[in-house]
Amino acid sequence: MRYGTYLVPAAIVLTLGSLACKPPKTAEQIKAETQAAFNEGYQAFKDGKARETNPYLNDKENPHKMQGWYEGWDKAKADKDAADAKAAADAKAAADKAAADKAAADKAAAEEAARKAAEAEKAAAFKKAADAALQTIHFDYDKAEIKEKDRALLQGIADFMKAFPAAKVEIEGHCDERGTNEYNLALGNKRAAAALAYLKTLGVDETRFTTISYGKEKPLCTEAKESCWSQNRRGEFKLK
Amino acid sequence: MLRCPIRILLCMLAAAGLSAQQTEVVLSATSSAKLVLAMTAPKASGLDEASVSAEFTAVLKRDLDESGVIAVLQERLPDGGAPVKAWKEAGAQWLLSTRITKAPGGDLQMEASALDTAAEKAVYTRTFNANRIVPLRYLAHYLADDLVGRLTGEKGVASSRIVFVRQVSAGVKEIFQVDRDGAGLTQLTRHGSLTLSPTVAADGRLAYVTYKGGAPAIWGQRRKDGPHEKFYPTVGSDALVSSPAWSPDGKRLAFVQMDRRGNSDIMVLDLATGRARRLTDGNGINTEPSWNPNGTQIAFTSDREGAPQVFLMQDDGSNLRKLTYEGLYNASPSWSPNGAMLAYVSRFEGKFDLFVYKLGEGKAYQITTGVSTSESPTWSPDERRLVFTSNRFGSSQLFTTDLSGRQILRLAEFSGCQSPRWVRGR
Repeated sequence: MRYGTYLVPAAIVLTLGSLACKPPKTAEQIKAETQAAFNEGYQAFKDGKARETNPYLNDKENPHKMQGWYEGWDKAKADKDAADAKAAADAKAAADKAAADKAAADKAAAEEAARKAAEAEKAAAFKKAADAALQTIHFDYDKAEIKEKDRALLQGIADFMKAFPAAKVEIEGHCDERGTNEYNLALGNKRAAAALAYLKTLGVDETRFTTISYGKEKPLCTEAKESCWSQNRRGEFKLK
Repeated sequence: MLRCPIRILLCMLAAAGLSAQQTEVVLSATSSAKLVLAMTAPKASGLDEASVSAEFTAVLKRDLDESGVIAVLQERLPDGGAPVKAWKEAGAQWLLSTRITKAPGGDLQMEASALDTAAEKAVYTRTFNANRIVPLRYLAHYLADDLVGRLTGEKGVASSRIVFVRQVSAGVKEIFQVDRDGAGLTQLTRHGSLTLSPTVAADGRLAYVTYKGGAPAIWGQRRKDGPHEKFYPTVGSDALVSSPAWSPDGKRLAFVQMDRRGNSDIMVLDLATGRARRLTDGNGINTEPSWNPNGTQIAFTSDREGAPQVFLMQDDGSNLRKLTYEGLYNASPSWSPNGAMLAYVSRFEGKFDLFVYKLGEGKAYQITTGVSTSESPTWSPDERRLVFTSNRFGSSQLFTTDLSGRQILRLAEFSGCQSPRWVRGR
C-alpha cells in the first residue's frame, strides 16, 4: 500500500508521456536524409553552382583563401603591418626632418663660422695693418716739428686710416725727462697736435683722432743719456 | 692719516719780569744771523730715555738746525752741573732746558724754558700739554716752531708737511704727503692711474690732475676734509687739462687747458659757478700758473717767444710782462708766500738749477749749482727754504735748501718723487 502511492502515478505519467511524444528517428531515416543532402550537393556541383553557393568562398581572385578562417588573422596582421608601416614612415619622416634640420644647422653654422673667420681675418688684417702703420714718430729736443724722415710713417698712417674708415686713433705726445713736468705736458700736446695737423694735410678727417699728452710721465727709457732721451721724445698712435 | 684734532694746549706761563726783557733778541726774516742755542738733555719722567733721545732730542735738533734762525751748539757740557757761565763761554746765547712728563693716563706735558746766558735771565718759558695720541716728534716740532716764533715773530715750519707725487708702479703715480722731517709718509689718492700736479689751498683742500678716466681731469676737494670729486672738465668735454693752482683765497683754481692745435692756455675756474675763463690768448704754450699771495697776479711759463720764459700777468690776463731774459729755458715759477720773490728753474749746461728772482731788486740769484738737475721749487710757508726734487743721488728725490744754496738737505729717501708743495699745518 505504501509503495503503490508513488508507483501508480509514476506508471501513469510514463505511459501517457510515451504515448504523447514523437518517436525518435531511426537509423534508416538518418541515412536517407544524409543521402538526400549529398545528392542535393552533388546535383548542385554537377550544375556548376558550387562556387556561388559555397558560403565559405567569396574571394574570386583567390578561391583558396577561406575568409571565414583567415579574416581575423589577416586583420590583425594588416593592422600590425599598417602600424609598422606608419611607424616606419613616421620614423623616416622624423629622421628626414632631423637630417634636414641638421643640414640646415650645419649650413648656418658653417656660414657663421665662415663669417666669423672672415671677420677674424678682417680683424687680423686690420690689426696687422694697424700694427704695420701705427709707427712711433720722434721729435727734436723742445721741438714739435714733424721730422722729414717721419713723413713716410705719417703717410702710412694716413693710408691706413683711409683703408679702414672705421678706425679711430689716439695720438699720444711724449717728452724726454729734461724740462719741467707741466711744460712737458704742454709740449707733448704740441707734438700730438703737430702730428694731427700733418695727418689732416694728408686728407684724413681729424675727428677720427683724439690727442693726449703724457709729457715726461711715461718714458720708454729712464737713463740720462741722449740715446734714451731721443726714444722718449715721441708721438705714439694707438687704436681707440 | 691722523684725523683726530691734535690739540696742543699752549699755556704761556709768563715768568715774572719776562715781558720787560722781551725784545733783546729779534731776528728779521732776511737776516742771516743765527741765534746760538745750547740744549741740555731733556729731563723725562714716565718715559724711556732712549725714546726721548731718538724721538724728541734728535728731531728738535734737526728742526732747529733747519729753521734757518737757530744754530744748535754742538759742544756738550756736563748736564746739570755746568754753570750758565760755562755755556756762555762755549758760545751759547740761549740755553734751552726741557722737561717732559708722561701722566699715568698717557697725556704728555712738556715744560721748556730758555735762559739768556749773558743776562742770566729767563727769556722763554712755555708749557705744552698734549693728549696721548701725539707722538714725541710732534712735541719737538711744536717747541721748535714756538721758539722760532719767539725769535722772529713768525711761527716756524717744523710742523708743516710736503705734498708730492710719487711713482707707485709703471704708469701709476699717486699723491702722497710726508711731514717736513721726512717721517709720516701718507698716501692721499688711490686712483691707480697717472695722478699729477697737486695743489693745496690755504685751508688744506687738495686739487690735482688725474688720468683716471683716460683723458686728464682736475679733481679736488670742495670743502675741507671733503671727498675728492671731479672739478673740470665737465661731462662731455674733451679738453685736456693740467697744472691746477688754488688761488690764495681758495675760491678759484688757475689751470691749463690744452687744445688740439697745440696751444696751452691759462684758465681760471670759479669753483662756486663752475665757469672757467681763459686768460691767455692761444699763442703757443702757457702753463705752470702760480698766484701771488693776494691773488691779483699770476706768474706762468710761456714759449710765445720761442723758448720757455717766465711771464707775469694780472688775474684777468692783462698787464702781461716778461720776467726772465737770461737763458733759453726758464720755467716752473713759484711765487713766494710774501710776494717779494719768485723761485723758478733755469736750464744751464744741460741741467736745471733753481733760481730766485727778487722783484724788489729786479735780479735773479742762482740757488743750486752742480751736475745734477733740480726741479719744481716751491716755498716753505716761512719763505726761508725751498723744497725741490733733484736726481743728485740717482732717482728723483725730495730736498730742501735755504736761499743761499749752502744748506741743501735731503728731506727723505723716497725715489720717483715730483711736484712737491710745502704746506703749513698737518
